[in-house]
Amino acid sequence: MSNVVIEAQHISKRYRLGPTGTGSIRQDVQRWWRGNADPFFRERTDPGTLWALKDIDFTMQRGDIWGIVGDNGAGKSTLLKIISRIIQPTTGRVRGRGTVGSLLEVGTGFHPELSGRENIFISGYLLGMNKARVKEKFDEIVAFSGIEQFIDTPVKRYSSGMYVRLAFSVAAHLEPDILIMDEVLAVGDTSFQKKCLDKMKELSGDGQRTILFVSHNMQAVHHLCKQAMWLQRGQMVTIGSATEVVNRYVGSLQQHKLRQQWDDPALAPGNEFVRIMSFELIPELVEGAVSIDVRTSLTVKFSIRNEVAGALLNAGLHLYNYAGECIFDVASPATACAGGLVQGECKIPAHFLNDGAYYFSLIIVRDTSIPVYYHEGGIHFEVADYRENTNWYGKWKGAVRPQFPFSFGSV
Amino acid sequence: MAVEAGTNEHWDWEANSTTKWVSLSFRSLWDYRHLLARLVRREFLINYQQTILGPLWVVLQPALTLLVYVLVFGKWMGVNTGTAPPVLFFLCGILLWGLCNDLFTGTAFIFTYYSYLYSKVYFPRLIIPFSIAGTHLARFAIQGVLLLAVFMYFGLFRQYSFGLNYWVLFLPVAILLTAAFALSLGLIFSILTARYRDLSNIVHLGIRLFMFVTPVIYPLSLVPDSIRWLVQINPLSSLFEVFRYALLGQGQFTTSGLWYSATCIVILFVFALAWFNKQAARLIDVV
Repeated sequence: MSNVVIEAQHISKRYRLGPTGTGSIRQDVQRWWRGNADPFFRERTDPGTLWALKDIDFTMQRGDIWGIVGDNGAGKSTLLKIISRIIQPTTGRVRGRGTVGSLLEVGTGFHPELSGRENIFISGYLLGMNKARVKEKFDEIVAFSGIEQFIDTPVKRYSSGMYVRLAFSVAAHLEPDILIMDEVLAVGDTSFQKKCLDKMKELSGDGQRTILFVSHNMQAVHHLCKQAMWLQRGQMVTIGSATEVVNRYVGSLQQHKLRQQWDDPALAPGNEFVRIMSFELIPELVEGAVSIDVRTSLTVKFSIRNEVAGALLNAGLHLYNYAGECIFDVASPATACAGGLVQGECKIPAHFLNDGAYYFSLIIVRDTSIPVYYHEGGIHFEVADYRENTNWYGKWKGAVRPQFPFSFGSV
Repeated sequence: MAVEAGTNEHWDWEANSTTKWVSLSFRSLWDYRHLLARLVRREFLINYQQTILGPLWVVLQPALTLLVYVLVFGKWMGVNTGTAPPVLFFLCGILLWGLCNDLFTGTAFIFTYYSYLYSKVYFPRLIIPFSIAGTHLARFAIQGVLLLAVFMYFGLFRQYSFGLNYWVLFLPVAILLTAAFALSLGLIFSILTARYRDLSNIVHLGIRLFMFVTPVIYPLSLVPDSIRWLVQINPLSSLFEVFRYALLGQGQFTTSGLWYSATCIVILFVFALAWFNKQAARLIDVV
């Protein structure tokens, strides 16, 4: 007996752009008529096609946990829908062994007018549970959701949190051979996300269940999945171990502008007092990492040309996040500078910045009080997340993420 | 090589680019029978949630229609209902036509109405139209009680002698054929309305016009000979006539007419199922 549970061969999905497919009979007849009468017309009016997926091949073994990463519109959801047999591929085929449960939304089949009890049954059946199983798990589902008192109340009266909890409880008690999840982690509060991830870990524990899951949460993919694939504009970029794929994907996402340099002072930004000649960020990547993450120490180097010999200058570095908040403002000591090149260097230790996107601005100040030149947004970079020894995968709070000495233990 | 070796082994399911006319798996429909039952139940619960009279509406609706029909067609226009009291005559027509009409309009838009389910989870696509058929057959069964009550009233207090006969045994077949006809048309129109939105405007009008070529509010015997063929090619005509004949002893039908109806409806039903099967997977992309 082979251990392959899903085998996808050359899956492609083409969507027609424009009004084709749905519309009026008149349009269809017109299109048909002109298409037959004038072969050139067809080409001219065809608004084009979009390959949502192109030639995807993979096989999944029993017990595998796969993550699918990629930008919006990369074809991730389309792929999940094809594997779930909701839509058909344009070419190729997917074959599988065992039951498939797809969680493409929270609360599949829920009806607002019906009670929680009714909805548990409908949703359970829709997701592929049989009657015996829903009955057997009913109490567990209700207990897990924590809404016992409201089980006979129509779900339209639920708070959105209660609704999500009930919906997820149903989904969590599905036990298909192959579980397909789309971005379920993106909804709900962080404690719900945590519960969801824990449940996934639990489900995958016995090594019998195969899980395929799409997420934008790289931490979750990295920690839960063994394998991953990266889709971009419908094509497979890489497929392989989750760590490698996530690293490459995150690396490609970082819109680095780590270095600025001007050779000709006349073209360099600045004014009659100073010119910015170079401004750069040098990350010291930890071993094995391919991108800046929270463990990376960063060095900012810059050089300016001082046009006023003997001026008392100092430099300031402002770090902003993309919400426009200033994370810190550090200043160098002031020095009387000779005319010509002046260099500066500032080191930001590892384990200080939280994950996120940032930019540095450089300010030059004269006589410790008069701003001479403000060079804004010279360096852009992103800090990726990295975690060890934790089961927490939600967003890490705080503007910074320092590691202070912290002792903890029973006395 | 692994792929090569895999092809000969057993796979539980496959998704590919082809759609088949006949891929109907009764096994998979059977596996989802509980879902079907729940959907029927759900339909009842949703319709009568927060209404004061609740499920009473199932019988109140035809009762009110009956009142209007008896007044308009019976009293004012004087449609000749033969020996049968107008109330009974119209009630039979209203109930059977109600089944046909509701079942058709209920299924003719399923791709639009149920895309929120179809596009999110896989289950045999026919479950939804079958559950709608189940809902309306159940409603019809409840309305049968109303029919029985009215009959008893006429029997006990009006000394009306029924024309009940052995054709009563044929009633379930006639009812199922009527439902199958409505379901077939509904399935076909569900595909058409998904593709051509314009049609949805015509569907309601169309079914109302169709009522007039079906002997619902008039007996077949009242139709002038010159246009009788128009009513007779309608497979429903014989069924309506036999329905009333079985209960009221009044109606015009022939055995060959019934065979004609049954054959038409079975062919239509098989075609509708096959076409629905073939189109369902593709239409999810369109709606």
